[in-house]
This record gives sequence, structure tokens and C-alpha cells, in this order.
Amino acid sequence: MTVAYLLGAAILLPILAGFLLLFTQGKWKNRTVKCLFLFLVFVITTIFSVKLMLVGDYQFPLWKLTDTLEVLVRMDHLTRLFLGMTVAAWTLGGVFAFEYMKHEQKEDRYFGFYLIVLGVLIALDHAGNLVTLYLFFELMTLTSLPLVLHNLSHEAVMAGLKYLFYSVAGAFAALFGIFYLYSHGAGSMFAEGGYLADISYTGSQGMTLLVLFLMILGFGTKAGMFPMHGWLPTAHPVAPAPASAVLSGIITKSGVLAIIRVVFYTAGADYLRGTWVQYAWMTLTLITVFMGSMMAYKEQVLKKRLAYSTVSQVSYILFGLSLLNVSGIVGALSHFVFHSVVKNCLFLCAGAVIYKTGKTMVKDLKGIGKEMPITMWCFTLVSVTLVGIPPTSGFVSKWYLATGSLETGMTGYAWAGPIILLLSAMLTAGYLLPVSILAFFPGHQYDYEQVQKREPNLLMLVPMGLFTIAAVVFGIFPGTFMNYLQKIAMTVL
Amino acid sequence: MSSVWLIIPVVLPILGGALLSLLRLPDKKRNLFLEILVLVNSAIAIACICNRPTEELILFQLTGNLDFALRLDGLGSVFACLVAILWPLATLYAFEYMRHEERTTSFFVFYTMTYGVTMGIALAENLVTMYLFYELLTLVSVYLVMHPMTKKAIRASRTYLYYSIGGAAFAFISLIFIIVLGNTTDFTYGGVLNLVKIGGNTQIMLFVYLMAFWGFGVKAAVFPFQGWLPKASVAPTPVTALLHAVAVVKSGAFAVMRLTYYCFGADFIRGTWAHFLVMSIAMISIIYGSTMAVKETHFKRRLAFSTISNLSYILLGVTMMSPLGLLAGLSHLVFHAIMKIGSFFSAGAVLHQSHKEYVDELDGIAYRMPVVFTAFTVCGLSLIGIPGFAGFISKWNIAAAAMEAGRDIPYAYAAVGVLLYSALMTAVYILTAAVRAWFPDQGSDADALKGVQDPNWEMKLPLILFMVTVIVLGLGSEPLMEILRTVAEGSF
Repeated sequence: MTVAYLLGAAILLPILAGFLLLFTQGKWKNRTVKCLFLFLVFVITTIFSVKLMLVGDYQFPLWKLTDTLEVLVRMDHLTRLFLGMTVAAWTLGGVFAFEYMKHEQKEDRYFGFYLIVLGVLIALDHAGNLVTLYLFFELMTLTSLPLVLHNLSHEAVMAGLKYLFYSVAGAFAALFGIFYLYSHGAGSMFAEGGYLADISYTGSQGMTLLVLFLMILGFGTKAGMFPMHGWLPTAHPVAPAPASAVLSGIITKSGVLAIIRVVFYTAGADYLRGTWVQYAWMTLTLITVFMGSMMAYKEQVLKKRLAYSTVSQVSYILFGLSLLNVSGIVGALSHFVFHSVVKNCLFLCAGAVIYKTGKTMVKDLKGIGKEMPITMWCFTLVSVTLVGIPPTSGFVSKWYLATGSLETGMTGYAWAGPIILLLSAMLTAGYLLPVSILAFFPGHQYDYEQVQKREPNLLMLVPMGLFTIAAVVFGIFPGTFMNYLQKIAMTVL
Repeated sequence: MSSVWLIIPVVLPILGGALLSLLRLPDKKRNLFLEILVLVNSAIAIACICNRPTEELILFQLTGNLDFALRLDGLGSVFACLVAILWPLATLYAFEYMRHEERTTSFFVFYTMTYGVTMGIALAENLVTMYLFYELLTLVSVYLVMHPMTKKAIRASRTYLYYSIGGAAFAFISLIFIIVLGNTTDFTYGGVLNLVKIGGNTQIMLFVYLMAFWGFGVKAAVFPFQGWLPKASVAPTPVTALLHAVAVVKSGAFAVMRLTYYCFGADFIRGTWAHFLVMSIAMISIIYGSTMAVKETHFKRRLAFSTISNLSYILLGVTMMSPLGLLAGLSHLVFHAIMKIGSFFSAGAVLHQSHKEYVDELDGIAYRMPVVFTAFTVCGLSLIGIPGFAGFISKWNIAAAAMEAGRDIPYAYAAVGVLLYSALMTAVYILTAAVRAWFPDQGSDADALKGVQDPNWEMKLPLILFMVTVIVLGLGSEPLMEILRTVAEGSF
């Protein structure tokens, strides 16, 4: 049972520390002590999580709500992947915020909720059945709300509510499916390969497909999938930059995690392959990929542009999943990791620029690369990665996605997929690279005399740097990692 | 215990209330007297439930086989226990709330008498007894709505009276039919209808059921007879909270349960047109209530509309015509009582402390009244059905019952859709208020709430208790569910 205690500690430590911070708002005299305390919490949580990841697979009920409803936790490769990404991004985002939040108000409230969400996410990654997943999904929505509306401007509060209602609506759509599956003898635990094809499952096929679609759509709301993407470009940019980073990089991915659990661990890929659900799902993701890139291309506010980019990129992942074959899953999982790294980094860079110069529009960034070279180098490198120019990580994942798409042999879709991915990659280049070009090559009208170094300090540079290194290294040496993902993909099919 | 004890929880508050009107005690002593009276009464009621007397207590006979009798069975125990636990807390809250009002003694006289009458409904052994207490409930509680004595309040009380009496008339018709065409009027799990006597008149009986559903349903505010409830929210908060979220309205739902499972029998109705109709009525009420709640900006009225929809959740469970459905209805009956009384008390505390009535005046108030708004947020999240809070369990039960019923009657799937639609609306009307209170717009006027603070312990204690209960039941309600399950299967 020591695992249970360790897990409890990993979940409760950040949550309790978060509450402590909320109850002592404004009472911390020494900011350094507070930051050290926070850092300590991040580190200990990370250690606990890593320990959990090394224990080996496990699954046990943690708690019973009623006889039929239990909170089941589960550790498998998927949990490891998501858990590792979460604590890493959270710690780096937290360190970045030590500096960034100096220029925002009520930072204690921010850090309080930031920690609470971390605890909830660790629990969410561990979810072993649909009810547990739903439980922590809802809690995640509620506890991350304060991060979105942090600055309390009218715009932020409205964006927060929009985020809230979209998410809740999505979750309820998914809940319908959970109700249905439970009452027909499924859903009480996840298993590789799913089990709806088993005889013990009594639901009718037509209804089951419908509820599965609803669950994909509902959980897909968090991942910004069309037509439920509307909240994302509104909500992510208004949050403080480190919050936008984890919202885009990690929280949207919990939608991905939930969909994986539904499709591959409950329904089973075979159950969905070739049905209208697969076609519909694929269509929606392709629409989202294209639309997100287009919107990002014409958007002029940097953080908003990045948010639209998230809409598009997360649907790459969902597209990969909707292919229901090994290459698709490998592509999706690797793109999950790469995009998390990249998008965290991009938002942090945008945050560093805002923090130092207050500039939010793309056109104002002329020459910023001269003033903040390291920041913009990070921005440029990860941009290149996201576009998918070989040998960067984005190329690897898109390669797998395209291969997977061709492997399906679905008329029309097999070709449409790679084409749209390519188009979108071009658009990605079109909306990211001009920022770098503008930053480093301001043109001859630019007044080089006025350049002053405005590089942020190490608290900001180190997280950005680490993300950048991760993005680049993954791209150059993808071998081991891809084999690992391949192994996961084989087990779930 | 001997069944004679059963008379005490019914009569003690009525006599106590009557005595209070004669005594004319000063406020402090009166409060003490009342609280002790109510606590003793609750203690006796709960003692009765724990050592349940099995035999009936016949008080007198009206004519022939029409007894006026009390008996404690499973369903009655649940309702009686709920009322017995909530009443002392609500009374405590009322002391502080009513401090600055006028005519408080007459208010408390009726308030306490209502306790006895509600107990009477819970303990009634047969339809006749229940009907009598049901009428009585209307009469004693009408003063409570009228109490502010404003024009609006008087009009509201008149509306309440018309609706309730009208409803009871419908219910009375069913009473006659049951007397004539049933084996007995005593409540029996599974129904009392004599199919031989009914013969070819099944359709008429179904029609009678429908009328009775509406008749008793008036108190549970089913569509289209929900109009009185939002109007009645002009009453003082202890009344809106305890009576219009628990005692009175739940009596309506309780009566429908009795009618459906203990008089007509679920088997008789399942699958007929009447079944479809009552299910639809419940669904329409849910949609109507939660949609109107979103539209409404008056804080207490918004909660009143929310009550309309939540009462129909209970009825929706009931109309699934299965033990699982009754379990669902019962669990929502219990959980909704706790969370709604908690949210009403919060709204009342706001009204009492700051005189703010509208949701858009609540900007930032949570920092002035942290205890009240923590309680409101917790109860509100539970109302939405966020897992981890009590409301999720009961909604889960309702959905499970609907899904089970859906195998034979696919129409029941629609019920789950309605449930989720309403949950979304609930999220909107609760969270817009909660977010406003905790996260005020920067532009909002901070001075508007100067000097507002949490109320004193008499108001805070019940709120804290409700909040804790909602969380505890949300995290682990199996012991309670086990009891409710045996009740719903008729084996308690």
C-alpha cells in the first residue's frame, strides 16, 4: 500500500500547499522565501511523480464514492508519458512565473491555484476508469478557471466564463456516454485494446457509436476540436503568460488523454474502425487543423496567434489518433510531447517579451531579436521545430502522421490527411517565421543606435532554454523515444 | 418502541406552537423554548426511526374502513428523518434572520406547527390521512408566505393558496377512486389496486393517476402548476429555504412517490400513455425551471426556479417506474434538500447582511462574507453535479435509472439528455453568481459593499454543517445508499 501513500502525497502535497497559499494571501513578507517554498513543492512533487513512474504498472481503487462508483487509479505507459510531461512543464512554468508574476497583482492567488491544478492533473493522469477521469476533468476545469481570469479585467472574466461553459458543456456531453456505458456493463476500468466488442457488453451498436462520438466531441472540447474550439483563442491569451503556456501545453492535452482512454482503453480501435464515427472524427480534426492555422495566419496579436496555433496543433494529435493504427498513434503521442514542449516555450517567450517590453502585437516586435537575442533564438528554434523542418522533432511526428494516414487506405481521407498536414505546415511557417524574421531583420529603417539589451534574467531564460534544448534533442535523436511510443501503440491496438 | 410514540412528533410541535401563541414570552426565552422543543421533537422522531414500531397507530376512524392512522415505514422514515434533521438547524437560522422583523412570535408559531404537519405527511399510514395532512400543510404554511404583509406577499400567498387547494382537489378525486377500486387505502409497496374491480376501466384509472400526479405535484411545482413557487420567494428566507426547498415541496414529491409506488403501483403505469405523459411533464418542468433560472437575476428567485427543476429531477426518477427510479428520486430528495437549503441560506445571509437582492450586485462579496460564499459555492457545485459533491451521486442515480428504463422505453434516454441540459444551465446560473462573488471585474464598485461581513454563528453554523454534509456525502455515500436501496425495493 506504500504506492497508495506515495500517490496520495503526490496529489495532496501541491493541493494542500496551494490552499496554504490561498489562505495566506498577501501575508508573505519575503518574496524569496515564498518562491523557495514553491520551488520546493515543485521539486518534491516531481520526485514523488518520478518515483511513482518507476514503481511499475499498478492499478487499485483509491476510494469508493458508492458501491458502483469508485475512484480507480492506474499506472501504465500512457500515465507515465502524461505525468512526466505535466510535472516537467509545470515546474518550468512555475519557475518562469517567479519572475513574470512580479508585474501582475495577486500572485499568491495565482500560485495557489497553479499548485492545486497540478495536484488535480497528477490525479487525472492516474485515472483508471471513466468516473475517475470525469471527476478530475471537472475539477481541473474549475480549478484552472482562476488562472484564466487572473487579471480580472472585464475581458478576462468574460473569457473565463466562456472557458468554463464550453468545458462544462463538453464534459456533460461526455458524461452522457459515461452514463450509457456504465449502465450497459462497461466503463468500470480501462484495459488496453478496449472491450466493447466483448459479449458482456449489452449496449446496442448504433447507440454506442453515438455516445462514443459524443465522448470524443465532449472531451475534445478541452483539446479545442472544431466545433467546440471557440473558447480557446479567447481564454488562453488573456491569462498570464506562464498560465497560457501550461493551458496550451498541458491542459488541452488532458482532452487528448481522455480521448485516448475512451477510444483505445474502453471502446477499442477495432470497434470504431471504418464506422461513421471514425470518418466524422477525422473530418472534424482536419477541419480544425486547417482552420486553426488559417486563423493563426491572419491574427496579429502574438499570444492569440499562438492560441490559434494550439487549436490547429492539438488537432494534429487528434487526427493521428483518429487513424486508429500504429503509425497514427505513434505520431500522435510524439506530437503530444513535441507540441507541449514547443508551445510551452513559445508562450514563455511571448511572456518574456511582454514582461520586458509590454509589446503584444506582432508588428511591434520589429528588431526585438537585437534586444532579447536569447529569447528570440529560443522562439525561432522551437518555431522551426513546430513547422517540421527536418531534422527537428516536428518533422518526426508529422512523418508518422502522414504515414499513418496513407496506411489507412480510406478512400479520399488517406490522401486528404497528408495534404492538409502539408498545407497547415506551410501556414505554420507562415505565421511563426515572420515573427523571427521581423525580430532579427528589422530592415534598414530600423534605428540600430537605440538598441538596448533587455534580456530577462535566468529565472525566465532557463525554462525557455530547457524547453528549446528538449525540442531540438528530440528531433535529432528520436530513436529510443519513438521505439517506446511504438511499444505503447502496439499494446493499445 | 410502541407505536404510540408516533403521535408525539406530529402533535408536539402543533401543541407547542399553540402554547407559544398563548405564552407571549420575551424573544430570548421564546427562542430557547422553541429550539428545545424542536430538538426534543427531532430526537423523538429519530428515536422512533431507529427503533421502528412495526404496527400501526389508529387514531380514530372516519367511517367504515377509513382510518386516521399513523405508521412508520421505510419511505416515511427517510422523509421524517430528513425533516427532523433540518428543522432544528433552520430554526436556529431563523432566530437571527427574523431578529429585526415584526410579528415574529406569530411567525414562529406557524413555523413550528408546520413541523408537526410535515411529520404527519411522512408518518401517514394511508391516503386519507396523508390527504388530510396535505391540506393542513397548505393552511398552516400560507401565513408564512404572507408574513412580510406587503402587497406582493399577500398576493403571493393567495396564489399559493389557490394552487395548492386546486391541486388537492385533483388529488381528492384519486382518493375516491382508490377507495372504491382498491383493496385498501393503506400504503402498500407495489400498489393496492384491485384489477378485478377495475375490469375494463384501466384507461380511466390512468387518467385518474395523471390527475393525482398533477394534483399532488402542484406542491412539487410541476409544469404547468409551478407559478406559485417563484412568487412565494417573497417570504422570509427561513421559509423559502426550509419550506419551499424542503418541507412543502418535498411533501409534494413524497406524495407522488406514495401515489405511484404505494397506491397505483409502478407495474400498473409502466409503459402506458400516462407513463409517457408524466415523464414528459417532469422533463418539461426541468427544462423550464433551469432555463428560467438562467434568465432570472433576482438571487432568491433564481434559486426558486432552480428548485422547480430540481424537484422534477426527483419526479423524473420516480417516473422511471422502477426500484432504481425510486432510489434515484429518494437520493435526490435527500441531497437536494441539503444543498438547496444551503444555497438559500447563503442567499438569505446576503440579503440579511447587505440587503443585496440581485445577482449583479454581488461583485466581490465573497471576500466580505467568505464563510457564506464558500458554503454557497460548495452547495452550488453540488447542484451542478460536479463529482466529489453529493449532487453528483443522486444525478448519477437518476441517469442510471433512466438508462435502465431506456432498454424497454427508449424515450427514457431523452431524460438523460434533459438532465445534462439542465446541468449545463445549472452551471450557468450558479457559476455566474459564484464567479462574480469571488472574481469581481476590475471595474466594479468596491465601496458598494462597505461594512458587509459574515453573519453571526446562528446563521453560520447551519451553513457550515450543510457544506460539510454535502462534501462528506459526495465523497462516500454508500451507507446511506444502502438504506435507500432497501427502502426503494420495499423491503424496509
